[in-house]
Amino acid sequence: MRKTNKMIFISLLVSVGLALSVIESAIPLPIAMPGARLGLSNMVVLVTLVVFGFKDGIKVGMLKSTVLMLVTGSVSSFIYSISGAILSCILMHIAYRYFSRVFSLIGVSIIGAAAHNFAQVSVAVMMLSNARIYSYLPFLLLISLFSGYFVGLSSTYIVENLKKNFRVLFSRQETV
Amino acid sequence: MTKGDKILVLFIVLLSFLSFAYINRYAFSEQEKFISVQVNGEEIKKILFDQQLVGHTIPVETEFGYNLIEIGDGQVRVIEADCPDKIDVKQGYISRIGETIVCLPNKLVIEIKGESREDDIDIMNY
Repeated sequence: MRKTNKMIFISLLVSVGLALSVIESAIPLPIAMPGARLGLSNMVVLVTLVVFGFKDGIKVGMLKSTVLMLVTGSVSSFIYSISGAILSCILMHIAYRYFSRVFSLIGVSIIGAAAHNFAQVSVAVMMLSNARIYSYLPFLLLISLFSGYFVGLSSTYIVENLKKNFRVLFSRQETV
Repeated sequence: MTKGDKILVLFIVLLSFLSFAYINRYAFSEQEKFISVQVNGEEIKKILFDQQLVGHTIPVETEFGYNLIEIGDGQVRVIEADCPDKIDVKQGYISRIGETIVCLPNKLVIEIKGESREDDIDIMNY
């Protein structure tokens, strides 16, 4: 795939992730817990990781949180979301690249969701300098199981379909 | 789902339940707590736990009867009472917020209350 093609594809992925984030914020959750999200945009990061690799995955994750800050206008949530994006991307990459025999995409996505929550809560602890915020973590981890499972499941289908319909992505990936 | 996924899910569930139990047990009991001694529904004494007060005894003498309270390290108990059944003495130490010792004949209630600290979270915005 040519460089321009790849750039366009990545920017498309970022915008899809943005749209998912905005839609997600309109969906009410039954649990009132700071930091609990569906994590739909994690799908995009996961797909990018699988298709393009680590470098572009973390690029998409960071771009997505940066542009989301410009859309929503809240700087504090940007700090939470970018730390979560970086940590979850690193851990998902490790899980996918080196432990793909052990974990399917669902497991990788659960790891990502859990890491995202952990990073967010840790940053909140540092920013508010109150270690008691860690008491949210068990609940958030339980929620991340569900969101991670569904994100992983849908990413599996996405990757399957991409493999079928965009063979060019996979066939010439090595030449880039 | 592969086997590794299931193990991961199990691990996270276990981890969160264990840490939840841990937090419930220890983290929240460390907040500022005090002993509230109430007689006939009125709070007559409010004692903050202090390392210097360990082993200290406080007599409570009212028109309804006599009780002797002993303060321990983050806990409190009644060691003497002139009521007939002495249920309050047999109950032993209480240490967690919300726990109470009640001596009905003497109309005495000893309750451990928690104070919400100033640096609590008001609003978190995401």
